[in-house]
Parts: sequence; structure tokens; C-alpha cells
Amino acid sequence: MGRRRRRQPDPADAARALPEAIAALSRTLPAAPSPEIFRRAKFDRPEAAPALWRLLFHVLSPLSADSASVSFTLEAQVRWVKSVLHSQGYPRLALVQLQDDGSQGGRELLLALAWLLARGPLPERLLTQSHVRLGDEMPVCECEALASPGPPAPRVEAEGSVDIRHLQWLMGKLQLRWRNLMAGQQEQCALLGKNPWQRIFCSTRLSWNLSGLQLLLLCGTCPPADLPAPQTQIHSYTRGCHSDRSLGHLSVTETELLRDPEGGRQLLQRLETENARLEAALEWRHRELVFWRWMDTVLDTCPLEASPPTFLPRIPEPGAGAAGLPVRELQALQEELQALQEELRKAVEARRAAWQAAVGGHGPEWRAARRALQVAVAQDLAALQWAWEQGKGQARPHGPRRLVRTEARVPGRLGLWATEATEALRAREACLEAMLHQLQGQCRQELARLVGVRPGLIWVPPPAR
Amino acid sequence: MSIVTVQLGQCGNQIGFEVFDALFNDSHCPGGLCSKRENEAYQASCKERFFSEEENGVPVARAVLVDMERKVISQTLSKAARSGRWKYGQHSCFCQKQGSGNNWAYGYSVHGPRHKESIMNLIQKEVEKCDSLSGFFIIMSMAGGTGSGLGAFVTQNLQDQYSSALKMNHIIWPYGTGEVIVQNYNSILTLSHLYRSSDALLVHENDAVHKICAKLMNIKQISFCDINQVLAHQLGSVFQPTYSREGSFHYRRNPLGDLMENLVPHPEFKMLGVRNIPQMSENSLAYSTFTWAGLLKHLRQMLISNAKMEEGIDWQVRPPLSGLPPLGKMSVNKETHFNTSIANLVILRGKDVHSADVGAFKDPALYTSWLEPVHAFNVWKTQRAFRKYEKSAALVSNSQSLVKPLDMIVGKAWNMFASRAYLHQYTKFGIEEEDFLDSFTLLEQVIASYCNL
Repeated sequence: MGRRRRRQPDPADAARALPEAIAALSRTLPAAPSPEIFRRAKFDRPEAAPALWRLLFHVLSPLSADSASVSFTLEAQVRWVKSVLHSQGYPRLALVQLQDDGSQGGRELLLALAWLLARGPLPERLLTQSHVRLGDEMPVCECEALASPGPPAPRVEAEGSVDIRHLQWLMGKLQLRWRNLMAGQQEQCALLGKNPWQRIFCSTRLSWNLSGLQLLLLCGTCPPADLPAPQTQIHSYTRGCHSDRSLGHLSVTETELLRDPEGGRQLLQRLETENARLEAALEWRHRELVFWRWMDTVLDTCPLEASPPTFLPRIPEPGAGAAGLPVRELQALQEELQALQEELRKAVEARRAAWQAAVGGHGPEWRAARRALQVAVAQDLAALQWAWEQGKGQARPHGPRRLVRTEARVPGRLGLWATEATEALRAREACLEAMLHQLQGQCRQELARLVGVRPGLIWVPPPAR
Repeated sequence: MSIVTVQLGQCGNQIGFEVFDALFNDSHCPGGLCSKRENEAYQASCKERFFSEEENGVPVARAVLVDMERKVISQTLSKAARSGRWKYGQHSCFCQKQGSGNNWAYGYSVHGPRHKESIMNLIQKEVEKCDSLSGFFIIMSMAGGTGSGLGAFVTQNLQDQYSSALKMNHIIWPYGTGEVIVQNYNSILTLSHLYRSSDALLVHENDAVHKICAKLMNIKQISFCDINQVLAHQLGSVFQPTYSREGSFHYRRNPLGDLMENLVPHPEFKMLGVRNIPQMSENSLAYSTFTWAGLLKHLRQMLISNAKMEEGIDWQVRPPLSGLPPLGKMSVNKETHFNTSIANLVILRGKDVHSADVGAFKDPALYTSWLEPVHAFNVWKTQRAFRKYEKSAALVSNSQSLVKPLDMIVGKAWNMFASRAYLHQYTKFGIEEEDFLDSFTLLEQVIASYCNL
């Protein structure tokens, strides 16, 4: 057979590998600059910095790229990126010290980007966020909405104080917009129940418009009890049409795709761009080793930090992929948690001892009150425990779920009944409302206290709602 | 999205009929200066908002008629049915045999609770007919007994039962030299209650509309019918469909919601006024031509000089120079005062509407200091002409223009209250002096807020 000659690595290949790796990364991230920008950033060229600031902003922001970029100046984006990186534990001080106008620091930004890429599957997470959804969906929890608070609204820079009337105006506008969205949402639910063929264009147009705030909104409002439950006649009309047997029927989006060629073309375009990004992500995974080696060289060119840098770009083992990372992270988390618990226990003991020393020796009525308090706290804890155990039984899934009308008795492997999800959301809504009332009561008490402070003053409260 | 109209009292029912008539006739106006397809979209949009379909194809107004006397409601129903083109629902009205005697307290404390269930049931039925509810449009007068007292009660109940739906109250401001002796009491009680439970108060002053009829329409013997027709024309030019966005040709789906979001988000500033240009008798229409520049110039001056029609505008009133505060704080005694706006909405309908330049309305000097024109000013457009007007413009504004009338009414009511005149009529039915005092406080606060813009 003869020995197979090993192919010598072609030096031209090596030269091409890096730009191709970076190009793949560019194609998979939203609003990413060209590989040339990356190269310039390594040498800290000024033109690279703004592009990289914008890239970091889009990567860290949970909103879609187009809507976020329009309303924020570069300066606002720079400040926001710095604060988010800091809150996520980014160790390098040099980044924080960069100027707010976003004109310098290409190299530091590259390091920050590499840090984010190394921490977790960043391209995959971004792709999941911007995934094109084809089914009629309903969220079962609000983890996504809570976990990543978006960038703050663009601030109006006032020289002096801000006029409170302007704030009241904005607050009122937000409340009205909320009510308008609720009305739109109810319309969508009603339309799903009516004759779908005549009204479907309304409902899909609505869903495009509502997509941004839909998650937050749906969490609080399920179809109201007084309207009949949506019959989802589209689901029953289109039974047997879907190529995927487990789904069985078409969703609103898919039906619209068949009816309206223009809408269908747009949907196709979005799917094609998503595909391109997915392919780029795959390519990136194949080539990232080259990128990490290059990042080593970037780090080498940085001047030494006064405090030792606590970060080195990690080179993930080819093949192990992302599997090894969660385990290590979990271990670190566990140790942190234990340390915190120990600290808490010590603090509580110290506090309790001090308090008892301070108040010990009061009359029997005080002791009775204390006992009542203890009983109440024990009850609260027991209720919490019970509630948690109730929820523990079902593997509570996260994120939005596709609505499927089915004759099956049991939901599929990853499925759950819409009624259960609705119940869970209603319970959460009740909980949040109770919390809101409690906070409002506290505010009212505080106001009453303030009113009592200045006896000569007459308070005229705003007209009650 | 649909709007459910609640017509209350004699005033509300008569106006309501004229409004639906105007809306229907406009949407079925032949021509309209646009393509057939555009016309059909306009018609469909108007129909969805204000009419529902019945079996025999005659559109039914989405309205509930309420009055404590039979006469006006039967007249209204028959007038609508006679036209053959649209009608009211047979079972959409509620009336009794006994009036309210112009007593706000009677309407609010007696009629209200007694007939609450029947009235709210009627409204519920109308709401269920809608695919989606944009909000309620409640037409009432301020000075009578049924419209004002019962109207305040109904609005409060709508707030309780449909808390997320929007409510706009269309209020008829009585003649300054009105016939009802207690009209000022009724007015302040109505306004203060509505300020708490409604989202927007769209005001039409009888005096102003009367002048329009006399000067612009050249009507010799002005009847309520003429006044109501002018009102309906103005309301129609606000509520008929407009494009949802600059450059879009799809009609806006939620005009009530968008209007409120732009004009009344602030809880202290809820009073809106309407102005319309051109307004003339249909005979003169054929002989007039207009340019957008001319119309908008007049409309702007009408706004800042607080004129209600395009004749007799005071052109001396100018916006204050930028950077300088307006000449002293507004005093209700000064005759010519510059009318500061909080927010404005201009609605343009007709030929070449996209070439109309509304830049003059974006002048920061027109607005209060805490809101910039980019937030305070909005413009809606459509190519489709309104009725027979080749070009027409309407302006809905949240401004100081109602401060003077309001202050006058509060002053007169206070004088009566201080001498305890006619109070027993109200305390007899459960409206105590406390309630009066609360109303005065609230309205004084509103006046102060508007004056301090």
C-alpha cells in the first residue's frame, strides 16, 4: 500500500485562515464590522474604535439591532457598554478608562469581545434571540424579559433640573401606549377566533407591530375570561396540511405565507438571512482556533496593566465544544454560593445577638408580639416551601412555545397544555399585583408621613384615578 | 378597531345622529378625489369603526342612546331609519318617561344607580359586537340634568368596568347667557367628575359654533340642527380615516388611541378643542379654491390668537420671541393673549396633501417649555377629500384656549355657592357641599396648571 505522504501545510492557507475566521465571525454577529477593522483594531487605529463600540452595543443589548441603534448616540452606547461589561465582571480597567466619545481603544475592545466570546456560546445565543418564528407562540415564563434589562431610554441632557411635567407626560404616554397594545392584543385573540380568511391580514400585521413588546405584554394578559376562548379555527381548517406530522396544522404566519406572495417573499428573505448567519456560525466554530491564537498576539501587544490581568483568552478544546464550560462555571458558582452563605450566617448571628442584647428584658406583651411575629414568619416560609415544591414537580420549561391544536391525550415530550401555562402565568400575575399593591401602600404611607411633617402646609393631591 | 358611541340626553342624541349621518355621507360621497380602490379602503375603515353589519345589509351605528324622555330618542331613531342608508339598532336605546329637571344631582344619584344595570347591559351588547374595542365616545352636554349628571355617572361606570378601554367625552359648553339657572353648578360638577374618570374631554362651545353658523354659513335663523351639523362636520373631519404613517397608504387602525397618546397623556391637561378650516355653506364651496399654505397659515393664527373661525382673526397676536418668556404670566383678564399649546394634532385631507408644509406648527415658541415640538406636534394626512371640500384641515389642540371660559364658569358658580343659592336642590339628592368644594378645588387646580404653562 505504501505510506501516505503527509501533506505539507501550505503557507498561503495559513495566511488566509485568519481573515476567513474573522469574516465568519463577522457574518454571524449582528452589525459586525469587516475583518479589516479587526486588523486595524489590533494596532489601535482610531477608525476601528467606533465600529467596535457599536458591535459590542448590539451584542450586549437584548433588543433587535435596527431599533436600538437609531435612538442612541455613540456616547450613550459607549457608556452603556462600559456599565454592562462592568456588571458582568469584566476585569480590565483599561476599558473603563477609555474616552466616552468612542474614538480610541480598538485593542481593548477586541479583548472585550474575545472575553465575551470565551465566556459562553455568544453567536448561538444571539441567533436564538433573533430567530424567525413561524408558529403561533405563547410565552410560559418571563425569564428572558427579566434576565436582560435593556439599555436605558435616551436621556434628555438638561442643564438644570428636569421639569416634572415632562416626566408625567412621558409616564402618561407609556400608560396609554400600554393600553393601546392591550387592545391590539385582544383584537388579535378575537381575530384568531373569527373567520380567518377575511381577517388574517390584520392579525399578522398586528403581530409584526407588536413583536417588540409582545413578550412582556402577554405575560400579564391572557385572553380575558369574559371573551370566549379563541377557537383557533385556522388550526382546525388547516389540519393535515403541514409537512411536519407532529404539528399537523398550519400557524397564522404559515397561512399568511401561502395567501400573500409579498409577505411570503419578505418572510423568505428573513429566513435566508438567518440561514446565512447560521452557516457563518458553523464556519466560525470550525475556524475559531486561529482566531484565539491571534488574540494571544493582541494581548501580547498590550502594555502591562498595573494590576495583574485576571483574564486570558481560553482556547476551547476542539471537539469538547461548549460542554466543558458549564461544569466549570457551575463549580465556581457553587463555591461562591457556599462562601456567601457562610458570610450570611455569621452576619445574621452577630445581628441577632446584638439585637437581643439591646432589647432583652421587656414586658410580657412584647414577648407575645415577638412570638406572633415568629409564627407569621414560619407560616410565610412554609408557604414558600410548599409553593416551590408544587412547582418542582413539572419540569418548568422556559421561553415561548408554539401553539399546536392536537387531539392527543398527552402532550409530546417537551410539550405542556396551554391551560397549565396560562394558570402559571395567572398565578404570577396575581403575585405581581399583590406586590404592586403593597408597594403602593408603602408609598401612600410615606406620603402621609410627609404630610404630617409640615403642619402649616396644605397638600392638594392630584385627582385620584 | 371600533368606537362605541354613547349618546346621552337631548343634546347628546341630536348631535350623535348628525355625527353618524356626516360620517356615513362622507364615506359614501362619490368621487372624493381619489381612486376607487382608495375610496373603498376609506369606506371600509370608516365602517369598521362606526357601523356594524346587519343581515339585510343596512349598516347599524355602533351606538347606545340614553335619555330620560322618549321624545328625542324616537325622533332620532326615525330620522335615521327614514334615510334608508343607515340606522340605529332597534334595541340600542334606553329611555324613561320622566326627565331630570336640569338637576345634576338627580341624574347622578337617582337615575344613575336606578338604571345602571340596564344601561351597562346595552353598552356591553354593543361592545360584544366589536371585534376589538378602541374606546368609547360619550356625547353629552354639561349644563342639563340628564346629559351631565347621568353622563358623569355612566363615564364613571365605564371606567370601573372597562378600565383598559379609552374614553373620550364630547362636551357641549353651554351658552354664556344660557337659560338654565343652575347650569354653572351642573357644569362644574360634570367637569370635575369627568376629569377623574375620563381620559380626554373634547369641548365644543355653543357660543363659538353659533358664531360660525352666523358669520361663515350665513344662516339667518340658527336652529340647534344647524349648530349640530357644524359640530358633526368638525368631528367628522377629526375621526374619519387617515394614513397610519408618513408615506404609508394603509389607514390608521386606532385613531382614538393615537389621538390620546399624542394629546392627553398628562393627567392634569385633558381639555381639547377642535378647529376646522375651511367651514362654509355648500353653496359657496363651488366658488372657492384654497391652497394648503393659506389654509395652514390661517389655522395657525386661529390657534395662537384663540380664534374659533377663520373670520375676524386677530393677526396682531404673535408668538413670544424665542428665549424670552411670554409677556407675563397669563392673566384671564387680558384680552389678547398668546395661546400657548401643550400639544397639537393637525389633520389634512384632500388634494396634494403630501405637499402641504406644516413647518410653521413646529415652532417651539408655540409650545410650552417642557415639551419639544417633536413630541408635541403630530400631523395626519389622507388624500381622500372630506365631503365636498377639495382641501380641508382640522386642528385638535390641548391648549390654554378653554381657560377663560372655564374660569368664568367657576367664578359664577362660586358666587352662587357662596350665597348658598339653589343648593338644597342638590343636597336633597345626596350631593353635599363637600362635593361642591372638591369640584372647585379640582377645577381651580386645572386652571392654575394651564395658566402656568
